[in-house]
Amino acid sequence: MNRNYRSAVATAALLLGIFAAGAAFAQKQGGILKMYHRDSPASASIHEEATFSTNVPFMGVFNNLVMYKQDVAQNSLDSIVPDLATSWSWNADHTKLTFKLREGVKWHDGKPFTSKDVKCTFDMVMGKASAKFRKNPRKTWYENVTDVVTNGDFEATFILQRPQPALLALLASGYTPVYSCHVSPAEMRTHPIGTGPFKFVEFKTNESIKLTRNPDYWKKGRPYLDGIEYTIIPNRSTAVLAFVAGKFDMSFPTNLSVALVKDVKKQAPQAVCKIEPTNVNTNLIVNRDAPPFDNADIRKAMAMTLDRKAFVDILFEGHAGIGGAMLPPPEGGWGLTPAILQTIPGYGPDVKKNREEARKLMQKAGYGPDKRLKVKISTRNIPVYRDPAVILIDQLKEIYIDGELDVVETANWFSKVARKDYAVGLNLTGNAVDDPDQAFYENYACGSERNYTKYCNKDLEKLFDQQSMEPNKEKRQKLVWEIDRRLQEDVARPIIFHAREGSCWQPYVKGVTVMVNSTYNGYRYEDVWLDK
Amino acid sequence: MQVNEYAAELSRAGANVGGRWSAARFLARRYPLGAIGAAIIAVFVFAALFAELITFHDALSTNSAMSLAPPGAGYWMGADNFGRDVYSRIVFGARISLAVGMGSTALGCLFGVALGLLSGYLSGWVDLLIQRIIDILQALPLLVLALVMAAALGPSLQNTIIAIAIPLIPYVARVIRANTLALRELPFIEAARATGMSDLRIALRHVLPNTLAPLIVLATAQLGSAILTEASLSFLGLGIPEPFPSWGRMLSESAAEYVRTAPWLVIFPGIAISLVVFGTNLLGDAVRDLLDPRQRT
Amino acid sequence: MATYLVRRSLLMLLTLFGISIIIFTLLRIVPGNVVDILFDAAGFVDPADKAKLEAELGLDKSIPLQYAAWIGNLAKGDLGYSYVSEKPALDEILPRIPITARLAGMALVFSILFGVPLGVISAVKQNTGLDYALRLVSLSGLSMPAFWLGLLILMAFVAATDSIPIYSAAPKSFWQALLMYSVPAAAVGFRSSALIMRLTRSSMLEVLRQDYIRTARSKGATENSVNYRHALRNAMLPVVTVIGIEAAFLIGGLIVTETVFNIPGIARFLVEAIRWRDYPIVQNLVMFVAVIVVVVNFAVDMLYAALDPRIRYSD
Repeated sequence: MNRNYRSAVATAALLLGIFAAGAAFAQKQGGILKMYHRDSPASASIHEEATFSTNVPFMGVFNNLVMYKQDVAQNSLDSIVPDLATSWSWNADHTKLTFKLREGVKWHDGKPFTSKDVKCTFDMVMGKASAKFRKNPRKTWYENVTDVVTNGDFEATFILQRPQPALLALLASGYTPVYSCHVSPAEMRTHPIGTGPFKFVEFKTNESIKLTRNPDYWKKGRPYLDGIEYTIIPNRSTAVLAFVAGKFDMSFPTNLSVALVKDVKKQAPQAVCKIEPTNVNTNLIVNRDAPPFDNADIRKAMAMTLDRKAFVDILFEGHAGIGGAMLPPPEGGWGLTPAILQTIPGYGPDVKKNREEARKLMQKAGYGPDKRLKVKISTRNIPVYRDPAVILIDQLKEIYIDGELDVVETANWFSKVARKDYAVGLNLTGNAVDDPDQAFYENYACGSERNYTKYCNKDLEKLFDQQSMEPNKEKRQKLVWEIDRRLQEDVARPIIFHAREGSCWQPYVKGVTVMVNSTYNGYRYEDVWLDK
Repeated sequence: MQVNEYAAELSRAGANVGGRWSAARFLARRYPLGAIGAAIIAVFVFAALFAELITFHDALSTNSAMSLAPPGAGYWMGADNFGRDVYSRIVFGARISLAVGMGSTALGCLFGVALGLLSGYLSGWVDLLIQRIIDILQALPLLVLALVMAAALGPSLQNTIIAIAIPLIPYVARVIRANTLALRELPFIEAARATGMSDLRIALRHVLPNTLAPLIVLATAQLGSAILTEASLSFLGLGIPEPFPSWGRMLSESAAEYVRTAPWLVIFPGIAISLVVFGTNLLGDAVRDLLDPRQRT
Repeated sequence: MATYLVRRSLLMLLTLFGISIIIFTLLRIVPGNVVDILFDAAGFVDPADKAKLEAELGLDKSIPLQYAAWIGNLAKGDLGYSYVSEKPALDEILPRIPITARLAGMALVFSILFGVPLGVISAVKQNTGLDYALRLVSLSGLSMPAFWLGLLILMAFVAATDSIPIYSAAPKSFWQALLMYSVPAAAVGFRSSALIMRLTRSSMLEVLRQDYIRTARSKGATENSVNYRHALRNAMLPVVTVIGIEAAFLIGGLIVTETVFNIPGIARFLVEAIRWRDYPIVQNLVMFVAVIVVVVNFAVDMLYAALDPRIRYSD
């Protein structure tokens, strides 16, 4: 009796297990995912662009060496998985990173993938190849790499000047696809060839982008979709209405403001929406070399007068993060904790007190209710830049500063900034990966192109290098906190808030993961399937 | 015709009017729709002139606590997402809208009249050249010009006024030119020339006043049209920049985003625009009936 | 007549020449070019790369030289390459023309189809309730910003049906294809139809009073034939003028409507190209629009002469 009972239970358990496993494999093949796109990407070449308008449609055409696991919402060094590289290892002193590459992978035009393609890709990015990109925004990511050497057809080694464990984070980014040797940069801009789950079909400027399933994809069984179609709709009101009407399966990722998500849910309650941080922060770039902000007191006063909560309440109905240079926890892996933030001037909860101190600083500088400071607040002429500027002007009134909004056309914005033809500017900084190497070097290193304010602190630079070489996560975290805290105290680039945006999709779209600490890395779409 | 002369004619015809105000009342009764239009415009002009006196909040101050507040005490038309009082922004927006309307109309008419008079009166190669200028101005799409101007000079109130005025110039010039051509041959002009009057004086004192009627009709219609154009420019990201309260921008920025969650952001600017344009159209029709019966609608 | 035509053609060419110079120079004196925008998106500028790209695109030469190059190529039928998409400008512009043409054509048809009959009815039934109602509706059409009308239409469709009449490259049914063009055409044409209605009404009223109508009536012609044959023909004159004027303003309405209904026509493309400072596209498109406007004006003048025997061109 016992044995029969036990075997019955065992059989039942086995059947249940098979049933459960079967349910997990319920993904359906087929269907075309329809999305709207918010604008027309300048080109299809990810390496030449610096906006997720290019990543979203074209990341599915490629593979990287390594990739952030697409169903893990928080990108970190721990969620990096093999892509074209099957395994990797560091040498003894951590200056050589060797990748073993996958065999049997074909490019979309049938040619085989080898280690030469890896070398070609990174030679192009580092500017060493004869084939040149028109623009190369991430050349600086590889300043620490002296060369990429191949050993046979399926092994490539990165040779570094000094240890940099986070190099893997840069390689896992959606911005780091592997290109081939035999396709020119010009062709990659108009007809990209990759090894990824989707093949490029067409890109009609200002109209549509079409991708189709790669039947020879090396990951068997993927992708589930037959193709992806993007319709370019620059007018967001029209696009959202079309989504609500069911014309699109998914909104453009992170395209919907908090107010719009509310609106969509009202009209289409069955839609699935998620609001997550994008790792784009709004900050102030301050011209430290010209009056009035060459005066450290005035800089500090401006930083202290910020009522960050008001920005967050107005622009995000309360849903946005407040932090330092790194995205705040829990979504960010490296951001300053609330406990540390409280200790930094201007971040404390008592806005009135902060402003009183700020006013004292202004009075010390010679300004007061009768002698107000006139300043131009420069920013781009698009709502996501203008709206915070309006709030900023209003808040600066509290410390005797009369700001005047100076809106600049996109074409003129960066040249104006590069010329330092501004007193204070309202800026947005997007971080491709949630890693201090990317954030600190790009924005705060002396001589970095994106260090718009030309902030230069040699002591901190030494700390940048120190944290970059540190393999132990806890030790590195402490260093990063130290750097971040000092950057904020030094008013290098006052961070106002870390944005959160919404993405919505119809309930039959499955397998979508919205990344919580980056808006550049989650668009391979090989796991997405349509349940209909 | 002057109102006084009109009043005189009316009394000769037997109507019981004496002086300006009675003439005005008479006109209002004769053209009720026009009177309504004039009244609407008057309300907005009043609002524009006395904006500071009839509002309780600053149109530019943000207030996160009142963000998206529905209409209620202190905030008669609710607040926008910045917490700014919509009522104040509508009232101050009247100032902006009227500035745009009147500014662009005046500018367009000024240049249009100048070009039309010159072209019609002087004829010859001057006429030919000015006609080409008019053609060119007419063939350049307004939005192209506005985009280019915004790119070159930055978006501002002045640039918006100029951009809206430019397409008006060929329109006015053509009408003025046609009328001038017709008037030029009339005997009293010949007589004036015979007495030795300079061309300029003849143009200004005799020709211009007689072309005024169609001009006034045009100008009244253009007032409303300019406001609509500014709204379209805001929709495309041009037009009057922040933080000035412009009805067009208020409507275009909240049009689809807040229409369900905060409809007051859409309703009030929409009504304001429609009312003013409606009013100018009514007034324009009445003015046309009055001054230029040949063009009766 | 022949001398008039020749003269007129020469003058039209002169106008077009003037426009080409103006748009060309305007674009280049405006600060910021396509290279700035392309690099700006990357958030940094590498002066060497920038200079290289500018030389590649020919933007480093002097303005007169660039103009000569453009006009020279244009004469050969070479419109150049789009700076952004790197495809030939002709390939970008040509497929979009029929789309906008369909939209503009349908809008014109709509405005005449609705404007003229309604104007006639309004004139014939002057001062009745119907007349006031029609005038009210037409005035409201002239009192709303174009984008607002378009968005209201879209919202109404989405709320009432489960579809949305925005453009789709592959419409699923004839009905959808029809809606795709006719709804935006109605939005564009609403304003023109209101204008045409008002003008038709006033011209009809004017003409109905004139002597020869009374003569026709006294000869025993029926009421309808009086209306539609004698009066209408003469009432069309100002309407034709309006069509001529509206042609120029139509582009503005088209830009807004193409944006709201997401139609990939030349109007929307023009705006995008200006934002990108894609000179080859902008210059050629503006010239194209200018040619259309100039030709339409010419056609209107000829039509005017045909309709009104009192006008003859003999400058």
